[in-house]
Amino acid sequence: MIEIKGITKTYGKKQNAFLALDNVNFTIPDGTTVAIIGKSGSGKSTLMHAMSGLDRPEIGEVVIDGENILTLKQRKIDAFRASKMSFIFQSFFIQPNETCYDNVVLPLEIAEVPRGQRRAKVEAALAAVELTDKIRSKAANLSGGQKQRLAIARAIVNEPKILFADEPTGNLDSTTGGIVEDFLFNYAKVNSATLIVVTHDPELADKCDAQIVIVDGKVQSITGLDAKGETPEKPEEEKLLEEGDVEELLEATNERTDEENV
Amino acid sequence: MKISDSIRRAGRSLRQAKARTLLTSLAIGVGAFTITLSLAGGQGGREYTDAIVKANTDVNEVAVTKKMPVSTSIQEYSADGGGTTDGFGGSFPTITNADIEGMLKIDGVESVTPNYAPAVNYVTAEGQKKYVATISEFSPSVTLDYAAGSVKGDLKSGEIVLTEDYVDVLGFGSAENAIGKKVEVNTTKLSTSYAPVPETKDFIFTVKGVSSASGLAFRSQGSMLISGDQAKEIYTYINEGTPVYGKFILASVRVADANRAEEIKGVLDGKGYDAQTAADVLGTVNTFINVLLGILLGFGALAVLTSVFGIINTQYISVLERTQQIGLMKALGMSARDVGRLFKYEAAWVGFLGGAIGSGLAFIVGTIANPFITDALDLGNIYLLKFEPMQIAIVVIGLMLISVAAGIFPARKASRLDPIEALRTE
Repeated sequence: MIEIKGITKTYGKKQNAFLALDNVNFTIPDGTTVAIIGKSGSGKSTLMHAMSGLDRPEIGEVVIDGENILTLKQRKIDAFRASKMSFIFQSFFIQPNETCYDNVVLPLEIAEVPRGQRRAKVEAALAAVELTDKIRSKAANLSGGQKQRLAIARAIVNEPKILFADEPTGNLDSTTGGIVEDFLFNYAKVNSATLIVVTHDPELADKCDAQIVIVDGKVQSITGLDAKGETPEKPEEEKLLEEGDVEELLEATNERTDEENV
Repeated sequence: MKISDSIRRAGRSLRQAKARTLLTSLAIGVGAFTITLSLAGGQGGREYTDAIVKANTDVNEVAVTKKMPVSTSIQEYSADGGGTTDGFGGSFPTITNADIEGMLKIDGVESVTPNYAPAVNYVTAEGQKKYVATISEFSPSVTLDYAAGSVKGDLKSGEIVLTEDYVDVLGFGSAENAIGKKVEVNTTKLSTSYAPVPETKDFIFTVKGVSSASGLAFRSQGSMLISGDQAKEIYTYINEGTPVYGKFILASVRVADANRAEEIKGVLDGKGYDAQTAADVLGTVNTFINVLLGILLGFGALAVLTSVFGIINTQYISVLERTQQIGLMKALGMSARDVGRLFKYEAAWVGFLGGAIGSGLAFIVGTIANPFITDALDLGNIYLLKFEPMQIAIVVIGLMLISVAAGIFPARKASRLDPIEALRTE
């Protein structure tokens, strides 16, 4: 569970001071997919950085699994990120002259995963994004979509419980972007991981369980998360639609229509 | 991140910028080349001088002369010369039999042999012209390089070691052919009174060996060797009855234990003698070599110093170019210390490559050049450039450490980068 408590972050000093986040509060249960939505400069990326411990707000707490990571020493935060979090960025940030293997193995090296386990983990991550055949290829030879899939493989190779994605499809066309989104959501679902997507794409945001709208550093609205931070029960019809049970879906829809007519 | 992973990743990063890595390494390589060659030259030079000293001196021998009196006042004349001998336009303090007796009483002295250095007029062989020559005493403990024949133990009376230079002029044709042949050495007896026809005497020797005109043998070169007893016999014939008889410029003190040579030198010094051990001779030559070595190492150090700035520049640019990568690594949980270490290891790799390239080239060039140098300088069987694996290893490791030191500043910059700012960098 991620608890954000009264986070405030200011950039600059005195007359140049800029309030990037202003008393932000919410709670994200484990395994939830959350979209942080807002215009450019609204503070959504700053919020992501604060949630991941990359940035330290002046006020507030980021409590993950009961521990306020903002009170940890830098090395502990680094180790925390290496073992529990990962990132996907709009610009991929892959090393073009390295092989796909060398790109993906980086988080395992940082987390000091034993050498004997690395190969299997890299292969599994590349298989998850359907890049198994590219393991020895140079990353520079991949297409844009493949590069982002490689970035996803790098992000998931250490099986993080929290995955941050900052405009993950921003540099991709809609078809390729859709494929990348599927990989992300599939990982979150299969691994019960928390996926936090920073985006200004409403379609991508709609795919998430919850949406947090940020305007000028303040939370304007939160949907999909209740006051205690729990994801509300999905409507029965939505569940049935996901499960593909058409007969049950039709029956439920008729029942609801009848109730509304009454 | 584990150190082994950091080292491997640093190596991979360098491979991605092959040309730049190679050029920076070459800059260090120039220093490594100079330093390795200098050290090889120094090592070879020392071994060469060591060989020369072994070939020309005896570690058990201490060469002794009487100290030259240093006086600013006018000295009163003494009829007996006061232990001095005249000659060469001056007066020299000499060693007398009394001195020799005194030296023999010093603890650890085995024997004292005056340097007879008999002056001869010429040397010739049957049917050949007469040639000017010098004669010295043979020392069994000095290693000679023989062109033909050899002497086991000491020379016997009537035997001579000829120098290679005289083989042709004395009509022997070859060094091998000279062995067993007779040579004639002519001397003139000194007289205290004028004689219209000075008395001369021929001494006949059988050639026992021919010393090689090697670069090692400066003592034997141009000087034929005869036994000590025969040198004394010729000296006695020449000088007996004259005022200089029994007075010697130089004497050779033989010590029982070579390790005590320095100690006995000190005792002799206290008794008014100048003494020089084999170590002194070696030390003097080695001092000269060390000065030369120091100059060459200085050039090498300058080259390394220049390359240090090259490493700083290259690594600094590398940090700037890889700002996003650093940001990503930090976002993924790499600590600032590990980021800094990554760049220091990259610098170490550059140092290793530079050291290996420079030292390797020096080894190849030196190995190829050695026979030519030996031939050109007439060094016999000795190679002037002597490569020691340990020295090369020290050069490479030293350059790696220097490179790491040069990489500290860029590494610190990398480790202090703010990951958020780094990721935002275009």
